[in-house]
Amino acid sequence: MRYDRFLPLSLALALAITGAAGAADPWSEKAVSQHIDQRDYTGTLDAARLKALIDAGEALFVAKYTTGDGAGRPMATQAIIPTKRKRPVEQAFQRMQGMDANACSSCHNDPVIGAAADFSANVFVSEGFGNADFDSADPQFSNERNPNHLMGAGLVELLAREMSADLQRQRNEAIRRAKSSGAQQTVRLVAKGVDFGVLTIHPDGIVDLTGLDGIDTDLVIRPFSQKGVMTSLRQFTINALNDHLGMQADERFGARWTGEADFDEDGLDREITAGDVSALVAWQASRPPPVTRTPENDEWRALAGEGRARFDEFGCAECHRPALPLESLAFSDPGPLDAAGTLRLGEGEEGAVYDLALLDWAKTLPKDDQGRVLVPLFGDLKRHKIADRQIATLGNELLAQRFVERDIFMTSELWGIASTAPYGHRGDLTTLAEVILAHGGDARKSRDRYANAGEDDRRALIAFLKTMEIPE
Amino acid sequence: MRRLLLLASLAMCSSIAASAQEVTADDLAMDIPVMQEVAASAGIDHQYLGPWEFFVGGGAASFDCNGDRFPDLILAGGTSETQLYVNRSEAGGALKFESRAIDVNPSDLENVTGLYPIDIDNDGFRDVVVLKVGRNLVLKGGPDCSFTNASREFAFDGGRAWSTAFAATFEDAQIFPTLAIGNYVDRSAPGSPWGTCHDNQLMRPQNSEKPDYGAPEALSPGYCALSMLFTDWDHSGHPDLRVSNDRQYYRDGGEEQMWRIDAGKAPRLYRRSDGWRRMTIWGMGIAEGDIDADGFPEYALTSMGDTKLQTLDLEADEGRPVYRDIAFERGATAHRPYTGDDLKPSTGWHSEFADFNNDGRLDLFIAKGNVERMPEFAAYDPDNLLLGQFDGSFVEVGHRAGIDLDRRGRGAVVTDFNMDGMLDLLVVNRGGPASLFRNLGGRAGDRARPMGNWLEIELQQKGANRNAVGATILVKSGNETRVRKVQVGGGHASGHSGFIHVGTGVAERANIRIQWPDGEWSPSYRVFANNFVVIRKGDDAAQYWYP
Repeated sequence: MRYDRFLPLSLALALAITGAAGAADPWSEKAVSQHIDQRDYTGTLDAARLKALIDAGEALFVAKYTTGDGAGRPMATQAIIPTKRKRPVEQAFQRMQGMDANACSSCHNDPVIGAAADFSANVFVSEGFGNADFDSADPQFSNERNPNHLMGAGLVELLAREMSADLQRQRNEAIRRAKSSGAQQTVRLVAKGVDFGVLTIHPDGIVDLTGLDGIDTDLVIRPFSQKGVMTSLRQFTINALNDHLGMQADERFGARWTGEADFDEDGLDREITAGDVSALVAWQASRPPPVTRTPENDEWRALAGEGRARFDEFGCAECHRPALPLESLAFSDPGPLDAAGTLRLGEGEEGAVYDLALLDWAKTLPKDDQGRVLVPLFGDLKRHKIADRQIATLGNELLAQRFVERDIFMTSELWGIASTAPYGHRGDLTTLAEVILAHGGDARKSRDRYANAGEDDRRALIAFLKTMEIPE
Repeated sequence: MRRLLLLASLAMCSSIAASAQEVTADDLAMDIPVMQEVAASAGIDHQYLGPWEFFVGGGAASFDCNGDRFPDLILAGGTSETQLYVNRSEAGGALKFESRAIDVNPSDLENVTGLYPIDIDNDGFRDVVVLKVGRNLVLKGGPDCSFTNASREFAFDGGRAWSTAFAATFEDAQIFPTLAIGNYVDRSAPGSPWGTCHDNQLMRPQNSEKPDYGAPEALSPGYCALSMLFTDWDHSGHPDLRVSNDRQYYRDGGEEQMWRIDAGKAPRLYRRSDGWRRMTIWGMGIAEGDIDADGFPEYALTSMGDTKLQTLDLEADEGRPVYRDIAFERGATAHRPYTGDDLKPSTGWHSEFADFNNDGRLDLFIAKGNVERMPEFAAYDPDNLLLGQFDGSFVEVGHRAGIDLDRRGRGAVVTDFNMDGMLDLLVVNRGGPASLFRNLGGRAGDRARPMGNWLEIELQQKGANRNAVGATILVKSGNETRVRKVQVGGGHASGHSGFIHVGTGVAERANIRIQWPDGEWSPSYRVFANNFVVIRKGDDAAQYWYP
């Protein structure tokens, strides 16, 4: 779908008023005829402006980018840090080193745009810093991953931001205590009920990080990717645009950070503007979360109720926490935790705030007695060891990724799991039963309880999980 | 006549360089740091003053003297007061310093030209080697910025020379550092000042129980050193002593020097037969930086007129120091003022490589200033900030950064005074107020924006050489490796000790490896950018420090 055909009325009107050039001919082979200007979307957006940006983001999400838009990166690798190839790539498309897709929606479309995909849409994760041809020609130099769904992604990022801020506050207060008292402090870090281990803080402000558990040493929860190594939708979007589509965002690959306006040397610069990224972020952040449906079938409904109880009894809920409380639905973009190379507050224009409470789905979310939204993600936003010597299926990767060892992954959020088969990081497990039995490491006890349970209990758990859907 | 020919050739080079350097600061997409001069509001009120002997010198020492890890300052005053300023800045806030008396005999702090911090006696407090016109001394550091004159305790004979350069290293298996003192004109020699350069000195520790520098060795001939640096130029693990000399006063045979320093052996000069090429400049300051991270550092040598940027030539080999000058091709000659109407040659002093804009590239700061009303040289001669570009060249942004003051720079300190991850700058000026520039971030219209990511790294080891002088720090992100050395020496009469700053550009994480001074390699430490990292030798994991 071409972007110009998808322009929301308000945006089209705005473009007409400002006399924007570049209106595409109907037969144009460019997917994007007009970039989003960040300056048009600052401050807290009202419902109309938010919708306009979301609509623009959807257009960019489904756009099949062409060479006319800047698709392709003949002289750049897939790496997150702008990295040159040693020589031009022979084939623009290549499933391992990328680019490997035409649109974001190529791999996020099942059962709806923005959701996941089956095994055929798997991608290969390698850092892209070595010889790109060599690295990706041999599977031992990359990890194969099945796409995650993006439904409810804005809520996930907001939870991660609040938890990161809370953990950093706990650290900073302990540092103040250690300095003022002159005594070593040990602080147990807990955010939204999730335990991230301990920090030992010396009176001179030095922090021993070795007691941390399931989180990076800077106490930033990176909620995205199966590994839990991406800070924000914005960061992930920029990475994915380059890796999968060969579309380079100016805010990382532009001349400010690379010295070249056309870093990938495909003849086009400013392929993706900051405004474009913001639109994509707004669209992803506004995806409605999956739901837990109440089955109309009496037997299923009864079994699912039983299964919900087994979920707790088996210990699944220790990591797959049914809900985490969220203080605010105000999604600021840029966010507070990104580093240079992903747009930050103070760079460029004033940031925008997307009030997710303006969206219809937000009104359906349950709240606790403190008025906090209960986000039913069935996750804890923490990384865990998921394989052991006997049960190693989910530790099947060959490479560590961004300081995270090969058998450690972010707890998968289970919301929507009934709609996102196949399972496992590689998408090579076709049933829920298989993926439950593949849990080792920190999840081994829960897995064993399931494995040793009676047939009825196992059936009940599956029946419950099958109620967690992405609405179509 | 020779001077005239030189000036003519300099002018010719100038026009070539101007046309060759196509990129100007106005064209840059990269961040130009906003350097706001805040000395007065920060409480720094200092001048470097004095007659002829104080045309040179004018240094500063920056180090933490009270245990809060914020860098404090001691500024050389010449015939004016040598001053201690304790850093009272808040992390990320305005720069604030508190003047504090140094409780030693006032005569100890008279006629000071330069200062270098180093923990000589391994007690965990940094000491300060004080260079003077007259008797040099060692200030032994103690708790809460207390100092005592330890020259007698350390058998450190300060001599009576006119001292203008210093460097230190820990030779193999030594508990205490080897000190090198660079001296200038011997004013008592017949015919002074022409051709009467004083010998330099190498002071090796004579005792393993306590510092004892009772048997200094002469480094002769001396050619009026204004900067010296122990440098592992050939990646052999054994640093040699590079000396930059002022051709203004040396005569027959004078040149830039490098002494081969082998433990237990007398130092010897590298000669023509070793590949050392004769070069004569008005050498004022040395900076070392491994621009291309190949393990073989480049050197910026300041002078009157062209700055030299030296890299190892293809003819070089281990033990064969053949260098070539790449300053012109890299746009780093900085040979005349880049702003204003004065087209006469510049006079360069302190030089230092550092990443001012956190883009991951080394930049080059050069303090500039007329010696003292020398009419052949520019009177208005602003300091340089040459930003390293992605193609390996440099571009001048001093005027856009705001450091182009009409002052006569000498020594300087480049460090992060307010612990915000961005390098600030202190410049000691002759006959004028010291400048203190706070780095506010990248210029974006009339405001400043956040720049690239960064790390600041502190090394610790137990026993001798606690601050790991001589260690190499490798910071790797993706395919980029950034190299830093822990050094004492170089620049112009100025040194700093403490966190080592590394800009990492858009990399949000990095692997750090240390080659400790004894040659041992550390494991790889995984760290996230925008943190202060403390690495102790032998530890499996790095620690963070929060201000």
